[in-house]
Amino acid sequence: MGVKMVGASVRRMEDPRLLRGEAAFVDDIRFPGLLHMAVLRSPHAHARLLSVDVRAARELPGVVDAFSAADLGAEPPGIPFFYNPESFRPAPQYPLATDTVRYVGEGVAVVVAESRHLAEDALELIEVDYELLEAVVDAYAAIQPGAPVLHENAPDNVAATMVYESGDVEAAFAGADRVISKRLDMQRYTGIPMETRGVVGHRDAVTAEMTIWASTQWPHTMRTVLAGMLAVPARSIRVITPDIGGGFGIKADFYPEDFLVPFAAGRVGRPVKWIEDRNEHFLTIAHSREQIHEVEIALRDDGTILGLRARHITDCGAYQRPLGLVNASLAGTSLAGIYRVPALRVEAVCASTNKAPASAYRGAGAPEATFARERLLDIVARELGMDRAELRRKNLLTPEEMPYDTGLVSLEAAVILDSGSFPAAFEQALDMADYAGFAARQQAAREEGRLIGMGICVYHQLTGTGPFEGGSVRVDPTGEVTINSGAAPQGQGTATMLAQIAADELQVPHDTIKVVFGDTGRLAHGMGTYASRNAVMAGTAVMMASTKVREKALALAAHLVEVDPSDMVLEDGYAHVKGVPTTRVSWAEIAAAATPGGNRPEGMEPDLESVQYFENMAAPYSYGIHIAEVEVDPDTGVTTVGRYVVVNDAGTIVNPRNAEGQIAGGVAQGLGGALMEELVYAPDGQPQSTSFLDYLIPGSLDVPDVEIGHLETKSPLNPLGVKGMGEGGAIGGHSAVANAVADAIEHLGCTVTRTPLKPATVWELMRSAGAAPAGAGTTA
Amino acid sequence: MDVDERTTADHVGLQEKTITVTVNGNSYQRTVPVRRSLVDFLREDLGLTGSHVGCEHGVCGACTILLDREPIRACLMFAVQADGTELTTVEGLTWGEELHPIQQAFWDHHGLQCGFCTPGFLLTTYDFLREKHGATEPEIREALSGNLCRCTGYQGIVRSVQAADETWER
Repeated sequence: MGVKMVGASVRRMEDPRLLRGEAAFVDDIRFPGLLHMAVLRSPHAHARLLSVDVRAARELPGVVDAFSAADLGAEPPGIPFFYNPESFRPAPQYPLATDTVRYVGEGVAVVVAESRHLAEDALELIEVDYELLEAVVDAYAAIQPGAPVLHENAPDNVAATMVYESGDVEAAFAGADRVISKRLDMQRYTGIPMETRGVVGHRDAVTAEMTIWASTQWPHTMRTVLAGMLAVPARSIRVITPDIGGGFGIKADFYPEDFLVPFAAGRVGRPVKWIEDRNEHFLTIAHSREQIHEVEIALRDDGTILGLRARHITDCGAYQRPLGLVNASLAGTSLAGIYRVPALRVEAVCASTNKAPASAYRGAGAPEATFARERLLDIVARELGMDRAELRRKNLLTPEEMPYDTGLVSLEAAVILDSGSFPAAFEQALDMADYAGFAARQQAAREEGRLIGMGICVYHQLTGTGPFEGGSVRVDPTGEVTINSGAAPQGQGTATMLAQIAADELQVPHDTIKVVFGDTGRLAHGMGTYASRNAVMAGTAVMMASTKVREKALALAAHLVEVDPSDMVLEDGYAHVKGVPTTRVSWAEIAAAATPGGNRPEGMEPDLESVQYFENMAAPYSYGIHIAEVEVDPDTGVTTVGRYVVVNDAGTIVNPRNAEGQIAGGVAQGLGGALMEELVYAPDGQPQSTSFLDYLIPGSLDVPDVEIGHLETKSPLNPLGVKGMGEGGAIGGHSAVANAVADAIEHLGCTVTRTPLKPATVWELMRSAGAAPAGAGTTA
Repeated sequence: MDVDERTTADHVGLQEKTITVTVNGNSYQRTVPVRRSLVDFLREDLGLTGSHVGCEHGVCGACTILLDREPIRACLMFAVQADGTELTTVEGLTWGEELHPIQQAFWDHHGLQCGFCTPGFLLTTYDFLREKHGATEPEIREALSGNLCRCTGYQGIVRSVQAADETWER
């Protein structure tokens, strides 16, 4: 009954402000007397810090403060980590380097000045003595005996080794007809949002509360961590997220500057701002994805998978911040995908290197594991002489096998695939992409000297992680509805989505609802926006709060018109007596009755607000099928992505436009990872990708339109039946494109085992196969 | 480097100059450090924070504005170089209370997600469509290729430009 907004493809409420240039990103926050912070960063990948002298910097006119680790107290606070497996030998990062620098870009000292220009001028006056140490930048090399050691507590440079095991792996391999093994590598790349990071800290003169505006995906977590590091009560800190210009996971971290800005603001007693420049971003943002996979698969001759055995080495960089082990862990528990893999053993090794600390980026381990698996399956199909779709079809789990307990535990939660219609999604995608007709088209193209390829990727993703999310719904005495959410979205359209969910419960127009995010002063507890958790966690919390408000509103309305609450119904912004639409009360009348002193039923508490927390550790898994079609230029190795098909199943879709936007945007990032993006380090640890000139992200000429089909297998784990889906595009996109390039060129006699497939890499693969056209060879 | 050397009046960064610019039809006279970039001037001195700083090396296009009707990267110019010019920023695109047809099209066709790059895309589109009617998709993609978006995968933006081409009476 009534208006149904969940499922409606409405325009985003967020947009008019953004379109008018009226948004407030963190760099748009300003105060009278605002000071600016700049950070002196190590130019060396590995060096002992003999001395840091900031006195000359302090003397420069316009400089208000300058400090180094020595000024942080006798025992500077380390950044905590949230995931602590038994084997972990943690290497926490400190806000500034204490005695050793371990990557280029690590903070050494700070200047606070009247302008950013002056602050940067003063950085040049800081004297630092370094004693250079040998650096190691390759994860495989780092864990060999004799490699330079980063941290004394881990002389082998192994920060942790986690093992994920289910079934009888030895028996599976012993009884196999075929065992095929491969090393498959994914490169270092990351989110690179268009807005860099930034923090503003301002101590409120009245409350003495330090208010922080930060481009963070988890304001409540930031508050908790900061309170711990500053050794103050949580109530002393308020974190607010303004508009955020993209995050993709890398803003769900705790960075040194997140501490340094409020620390500096406290020292100088004035508001302080730090806005990361793009160069700092490339040097210090959480890097991601870099994993070496050594993977073995046991099969019957008919293509039935019997087991998987793998070791992967994650390049964690120099330190582990809160989520530093997550990529390694989730790659372990994601490897089997949505296939029937009766036995699995993955050893996840976390290696320390002299590079920027790594953390989660859109997919967090799943893209890496998906590449290892989906690339391997294509290689297996070729070796077995079997159709790659048939190989996948044979091993996909069926709806009858749901829920499917993998027997694994990831990040303290059991990995149980809750629901899905994998074979149906698979066939739908093959149909949409005309897989059946592709072989003939490919053959015809080859006869014309053209190289075209089709790549398939079957992915799944952990979404909606626990343990909770908070949401409040309140109705002011004038009748307007406001939602406060613990989420901190970065462009996902979450305000519109949450308003749609509340609108269904309250039957008010969704675009009259105000949605406020990420303010620790407005909601006591929250988790934030990462791990595709907005619809599942924030959505359910808002639904719970809306339901409570609805029930109370109906009771109030019934009291006002003197009928039983069960005889009242909400419609068009009013509560009216069933069948008698003229006997009605408005939300303003209901809310006015709810105010203290108002006309309430006896015993009912005043106010019309509900604060609810959805507590849930059982994460829903979404999945999808990506099929990419590419053409590779045989002379240059340049890949052009043509058609791109996605069939996605994320349960109930609250707003299809938002969902499709997430898929298309995710695919663009996956495509970037497959073809162009890479954070390159020289052997001495000098970063080579420090601007948009040497780190390419896809532009409008690189990304195709994505054709999307939806399946809606509702999750049984929450009342809306939703699963998260924001990361899937990036997970599926990388491997679908990589497999398509492989399909275009591997018949020449080469094998694709690593990304990115830049033109030079593809050209070299073709040349190594001895099959590049003569013209290409002679122009080299 | 010696402190005295840095603090002398001839330190180029500390020199100032008075400039006059017209932004979105309003004339402003301000005294600015000569090393201040045009985008910083718009944001810091005039409070026009709709133009965003995405890279400060002229690649991302988030700071695209019009200078004497031509699109430029406001991060690659000094404010003093804009003395005497007419500028249009995203704040000047809106028709009073009404969204400009390009802004409306971006809203209607899911042309943005986080919105950080959007002002640059709007100004680039404005410049492109002002001269061009009935643009093909390849032409639109070419016209947008100097602006980076990390959220949308561009298809919503391309649809938006196609729609604005239809709806904007120019």
